[in-house]
Amino acid sequence: MNQTDIRRLAAGFALSGAALAACAFELPGDGVYKDHVDWGVMMDMSGPTASSQGIWVHGFQDYMRRLNEAGGVNGRRIEVLAEDSRYNTATDKINFEKLSTQTPVIAISGMGTSGSQVAMAAAIKGGQIPIVGTYTPTEALSVPVTPMVYNGFCGYKQMAQTGIGYYVDQLKLKAPKVMTVAIESAGGQDYQNYVSQVAAQYGGTAKAVTMKVTAVDVTPQVLEIIAAKPDIVTIYGVPNTAILTMKAMQQYGLKIPTFGITYLGGPQVFKAMGPQAGADYKFVSCFTPGGSDQSPGNKELSAYANKVGNGALEADVNYVGGWVVAQMAAESLARAGAEPTRAKLVEAMNKGFTVDSRGLAAPIVYTKDNHTGPVVLKMFGYDYGSNKYKHFGEYADYAKYTAH
Amino acid sequence: MLAQLLFSGLALGSLYGLVALGFAIVFKATEVFNFAQGMLVVCGAFFAVTAITLLGLPFPLAVLFIIAAAALLGVAIHVLLIQPLSGRPMLSVIMLTIALSIVLRSVVEMIFGAEGRNLTTPLPSGIFIVGGVRISQLHLTVALVSWACMAGFGGFFKFTSTGLLMRATADGHEAAVASGINVNKMNRLAWAIGAVLAAIGGLFLAQLQIASTDLEKVGLLALPAVVIGGMQSIPGAIVGGLLVGLIEQLASFYISPKSSDIVIYGILLLILMVRPWGLFGQRELGRV
Repeated sequence: MNQTDIRRLAAGFALSGAALAACAFELPGDGVYKDHVDWGVMMDMSGPTASSQGIWVHGFQDYMRRLNEAGGVNGRRIEVLAEDSRYNTATDKINFEKLSTQTPVIAISGMGTSGSQVAMAAAIKGGQIPIVGTYTPTEALSVPVTPMVYNGFCGYKQMAQTGIGYYVDQLKLKAPKVMTVAIESAGGQDYQNYVSQVAAQYGGTAKAVTMKVTAVDVTPQVLEIIAAKPDIVTIYGVPNTAILTMKAMQQYGLKIPTFGITYLGGPQVFKAMGPQAGADYKFVSCFTPGGSDQSPGNKELSAYANKVGNGALEADVNYVGGWVVAQMAAESLARAGAEPTRAKLVEAMNKGFTVDSRGLAAPIVYTKDNHTGPVVLKMFGYDYGSNKYKHFGEYADYAKYTAH
Repeated sequence: MLAQLLFSGLALGSLYGLVALGFAIVFKATEVFNFAQGMLVVCGAFFAVTAITLLGLPFPLAVLFIIAAAALLGVAIHVLLIQPLSGRPMLSVIMLTIALSIVLRSVVEMIFGAEGRNLTTPLPSGIFIVGGVRISQLHLTVALVSWACMAGFGGFFKFTSTGLLMRATADGHEAAVASGINVNKMNRLAWAIGAVLAAIGGLFLAQLQIASTDLEKVGLLALPAVVIGGMQSIPGAIVGGLLVGLIEQLASFYISPKSSDIVIYGILLLILMVRPWGLFGQRELGRV
């Protein structure tokens, strides 16, 4: 190779490098393009929590699809970049970096793994990419209030308040004894703490028993429940946690009023329990299962879910949760103006906004100092005769439990 | 309370023993440490979902379907993947089984989705009380079927000519080939039996829990069971399974659920250090 060839080669490399650099500078760092905006989702689409979080993703995507069919937000489609967290904090960290810089998005929704929220809380709070609508609202990420995080799912504190408050009223308990059955996780610990606080407010006591997320037999846990003789049992975990606990309690002849957290209200949970074990089981939720009432929001959700072949998912509160958070994402994006950026989105949300889901949930109000999200929950059960959810009152009847 | 924990531990341990037995048979016959055994459990669970929920087969037919599908899968794995690697270093075969488990997981999730599936079978779900101990009919069924399978395969190896040929093959491939035994056929049979035992475990686990790819982790509890019992020992696999089940229940109750893993794998480490051939395995002596 002579000197001229070497010069030509060097010039070629230099030109290629310059072209690549030019392309890189053209890539919008915030995921905003001429015709669309990229919006990230980080959820467990495989692993033990996929049966609830995967359905949430379907709800989110379907709302966005419907919105895009209607023209999108300010003339731009919203493209959902969904990353699978695989119930793994390390994977979540990689996904977060990817959505922050490599395939940039304007904001992220979901973040369903509580351990990941705890591990990445500092990075998120000190970062530039807002989390709009968390699926698992942990204290580590939500407290103190930060302009970077907006909860989008019923909070553990409100779940404990509503569930215990409801049973204290229904059973006229003076000093409730509450037993929490939970998987060993950061969120599980938060939930146990809230249950203890709420039980104490009513002059009662709380105990907790834990199990592995992949447990097959919960005899040790049920023996502890028998020994504790609680008035109320509450379950935190994955569908398997609720199914195993209720089946085992039935086998041991225990008939204790039990409520699960919102994530454990899917139809498959009730079906797997069966009518006998499921008779004593209810769940608290800030979202109304699709197809279970005639509110305008519920009709829209039901019609679209059936249109796109997801009719089987509409009754799952996780699907509804994803749908409502997508609505929240779209509304916040609309407020960020015609040329949105991450900074503009954060600024717009920080002024406060309300999400009216037209009956799928009580109105969700965000203010500068309150990003709790859905705070009014109610109790749901399952009618095995009609295979439909049972409502126990209206959201307004329950507002008192979470008002303080 | 202790009696209750012992019963549930033995029932759970029987299930682990069943899966561990499949693992031990494959290892004894082909010397393949099958890391995909947990996924074979998952495949069994989803064969059950296919037969019972999707195809709506009557339960006895569904069981036949599960056994046939699992046996076919075991044979296919041996013919397509294990046999071509015959004579290669052990590490290659181990890597192959790890890759196989990842591929099987992906295939199951592609076909059935990542969400778990309910499995409803006509297996009894009530309880009866004996001397204050609540006996779950489902747990008892699991234990009885597991024991029947273990006894059946134990008898098969001891009293049938095919079982004898399989044992001969396991004891020495070269000698078996020299004696005119079709070693590949015996190995295929071992893989088929291993897959069938895992699939029966999967059927029960899907009924006790839900059918999901997470059953792989439960299925992989067969690994400590088989190491504790002795890699090449069929009674060892059964006893190892029972021990793992008992330890899991007792440690969960008296210490904490997380501690059960520490105790199980602590015992495994101890066994590997002081008696690497396991409780029932035979020490291999080599001439130097």
